[in-house]
Amino acid sequence: MNPSTAYLNTRVSLFASRLWQAEDFSALLATEHAEMAGVLAEHGLPQLAAGFDTLDNRSLEQRIISRLLDETTVLIRPLSGPPRNFLIYWIERFEIGNLKTLLRGKMTGERPAVILSRLIPMGAFGRLDIEDLAHAEDVGELLRHLESSPYADIVRPARRAFEESHDPFILDAALDRSYYEGLEHRASPLEAAAGDAFRRLMSSLIDRLNLVWLLRYRFNYKLPPAQVYFLLVASRYTLSSAQLRKLAALGSQEEVLSALPESLRGLLAEVNGIPEVFARMEHHTVDIARKVLHADCPAIARAFAYLILREHDLRAVRAVLRGRLLGLPEADIRLAMFHPAAGSA
Amino acid sequence: MFRAEPLVKIRLHMLASEVADAALELARFGIYSPARHTPEQLSENPAAVYRETWLEVEARTAKLIERCGDLPPLSIPEGAEAPTLVDLEELNIWLKEVWNTCLAAYDGEVRIAEEIRHLDALQDTLGRLEHLNVDLAYLLRPDGLLAVNIGSLPAPSVKRMGEALAMTGYVIYNFDTIGDQVYAVIAGPRDRHDEVRGLLSQAGWRELPVPPELRTHPRTARAWLSEERQRVEERNIAECAALESLRGKYRSGLDEARLRVELGRPLAEAAVLGVRGQGALASLSGWVPKRRADELKEKLEERFHGHYWLAIEETNRHEAATTPSLVRYPAWLTPFVPLVRSYGVPRYGEFDPTLPFALTYLLLFGAMFGDVGHGAVIAFLAILSSRRLGRAAWLGIAAGSVSMLFGLFYGSVFGFEDVIQPVWTSPMHDPIRMLGIAMAFGVGFIVLTMLVNTFNRLASGRVAEALFDSGGLAGLAFYIGATGGLASLAGAGTPALPFWTLALAGIVAVAIYKWLETDAGFAERALVTTIETMETAINLFANTLSFLRVAAFSLNHVALALAVFTIANGLDTAGHWITIFLGNVVIIVLEGGIVAIQALRLMYYEGFSRFFSGDGHEFVPLKLMDAR
Repeated sequence: MNPSTAYLNTRVSLFASRLWQAEDFSALLATEHAEMAGVLAEHGLPQLAAGFDTLDNRSLEQRIISRLLDETTVLIRPLSGPPRNFLIYWIERFEIGNLKTLLRGKMTGERPAVILSRLIPMGAFGRLDIEDLAHAEDVGELLRHLESSPYADIVRPARRAFEESHDPFILDAALDRSYYEGLEHRASPLEAAAGDAFRRLMSSLIDRLNLVWLLRYRFNYKLPPAQVYFLLVASRYTLSSAQLRKLAALGSQEEVLSALPESLRGLLAEVNGIPEVFARMEHHTVDIARKVLHADCPAIARAFAYLILREHDLRAVRAVLRGRLLGLPEADIRLAMFHPAAGSA
Repeated sequence: MFRAEPLVKIRLHMLASEVADAALELARFGIYSPARHTPEQLSENPAAVYRETWLEVEARTAKLIERCGDLPPLSIPEGAEAPTLVDLEELNIWLKEVWNTCLAAYDGEVRIAEEIRHLDALQDTLGRLEHLNVDLAYLLRPDGLLAVNIGSLPAPSVKRMGEALAMTGYVIYNFDTIGDQVYAVIAGPRDRHDEVRGLLSQAGWRELPVPPELRTHPRTARAWLSEERQRVEERNIAECAALESLRGKYRSGLDEARLRVELGRPLAEAAVLGVRGQGALASLSGWVPKRRADELKEKLEERFHGHYWLAIEETNRHEAATTPSLVRYPAWLTPFVPLVRSYGVPRYGEFDPTLPFALTYLLLFGAMFGDVGHGAVIAFLAILSSRRLGRAAWLGIAAGSVSMLFGLFYGSVFGFEDVIQPVWTSPMHDPIRMLGIAMAFGVGFIVLTMLVNTFNRLASGRVAEALFDSGGLAGLAFYIGATGGLASLAGAGTPALPFWTLALAGIVAVAIYKWLETDAGFAERALVTTIETMETAINLFANTLSFLRVAAFSLNHVALALAVFTIANGLDTAGHWITIFLGNVVIIVLEGGIVAIQALRLMYYEGFSRFFSGDGHEFVPLKLMDAR
């Protein structure tokens, strides 16, 4: 084992002890208001502990992401080449989120200061000149600026599609698809080196996105099969491109679910609606990530699994804090913790 | 030059409506640095909206000037007032309108450029369509069962597009590629064309209109293309004239906007830190040099006639960490400032090491790289590049000159030691003496840094640290005592006992101080005290030995020259001189670079790290753009 792998493995193992167990969440739900800050600090979340009861959703999100960025900084320290690029690209999802916020802000004509206040501070991972972008006059100018940014490959197809249609949905969908195709492209050299564990993680992630997008585009937005297929990520995992083509051509949600490969059909048996498809498949991803994290797997696979689990945990903590702040019943908070809305990127 | 100028804190209270003019006046004054030290009762930031609007105005003005260009250099009239928030908002609206007008014109230019590219593509397409061997008029007729599109899409989308189209019974045929665009024909059943429309948008498909003129004999089509190109070029000339007329129309307005941006800049910049307020009251706070405080009062009185309240407060020594440092240097010293700043900015009240750094750095460089010829080359190259390097060239000229001076001492010209008589001695002829001098220099240098450290600690009120810590007077007593004792042992002829007594007293004082400072149990305290006291002694002597490299490099310089001569002497006349020339180039580039880095390393690690915290921050005054 070379020193950088040993360092990463040790780091991941140390970080893994910070992950929350189901009983921790139950305890958090039962924690008195006065003790909440202490409990969060004990679980290594001092950033969330300070002013947890006064934070708006955006500040909470910013602090959660800031925590993930800090931990990723530590994890990538010993890495170089494709593993480093992959983890950095994975964390750049949040900057793609910023990019979408900028685009939406420009579409609705918001002032630069308002848009800037909504962006997630990316620290050392930030590659966009957000001040400059926020001061663009309109979407066209913003997209032109972005085409000379490091995200040009992601933005170019989106810009072309948007210019032809002026449809914000098309813009968002094109950005998501380009981003995840980029992720798959970066994962490709690692799958050969990091083996089955890494591939299983990628597979659960891309399959979930493709299936949820397929169901949503096809049956909620009623898009034609060919367009739905084009919007999905070109995949080489359980749901291959050929299978996605067949599924997109089917006429109902039930037909799609019953035509899934055996492994996914079992997972989604008697599922009720697209949000539940998302929740079950996310749960499946979390299960795989836990197994990878606690098994003797390559360090990069364990690091990726840790980041997936940590993000999942932090979002559940956010659900608890927000739910309590809004005075929601415990049952609703639990639902939000473990069945978050099926989201995109 | 050795310390930052004494500063005073100011708080300028006035009506919020006058704060923009007050900030402008302070910027004109040129030596006010904003900082937050207003009372907590003033909890609002009355300039926040002003800053936000100013940022928008500034961004729009900059973009428009970039497009319209050709503005004369900015000059700010003496009595000009800062724009109010309302002025800025109106200006912002006007700029938006101008931007939209200019954007339309600019888009017109872009469209024409695209049309020209499109015509080029059509011309190419025509050439390729001829090879398709298809009757375009028949293929593209609107009443057929087959729906046909001719157009382009990004190359990476082609494969996926083909797969998606296949799901609707369509086929795609690529007939050309230009850059990352693939030109293709898409064909399929007309009754399923609606299913394909969304897909085409999603894929960034750009329809290539095939005008009726192209659906004909190629010769006729080419004549049409030529006429079309002429028409577009005429439009291009018209658009350029329109754009030029817009530039003329808005030039004076943009010049005025640029002036207002500059007049509003002081408050917008100060708003980040130095502006607070409550209701109709606003307060600007920050730092100004003490020697200019009275002048500032006069300026404010002249401008605001008593409608303000100015509080001036002496700087507290405990605020040294948050007080900015303002140091003035003579012009000849400024090239050395970036080398010191790359280590850190001196904290307020701390000794500024730039002057001793400059002198010692040059001395070390000259001692390690003493050669009249090599020094002359460095100085000559620095003079040649002075236009490009600016003041930094002085660094090269000074280093080259000192190198020449030491070359005279050593009697070395391009490595030849028989051209001139050494004023002093050649390093190779008495290496032990060189090593001794280097070590003595190191002792002197370290003593100096410890004295400076003691001064810095006293200046910041850390008296115990200044007297008893390893870098303070106790450490200095130990160092001088131990050095003197060792010198006696080496036969320097001085009595050893007083030195060893001084060393013992010094190290005992350091140990007691460490013991008292360590907050831990007995065993841990004993361990920490022992280790840190030992480390004090070891470090001081290791640092001293580090200066042996000065002698080592001066020897190395001669040795390298000898190596070059040995190789050269084994060759014929031409080879001899070529080797001498190339060898000297290598010595100047390679050894010169190494010596420059080594001298810097000695200054940073054996010097600065001993006394220079470098955690201060620069005094950045508000200034108007034309004054910067």
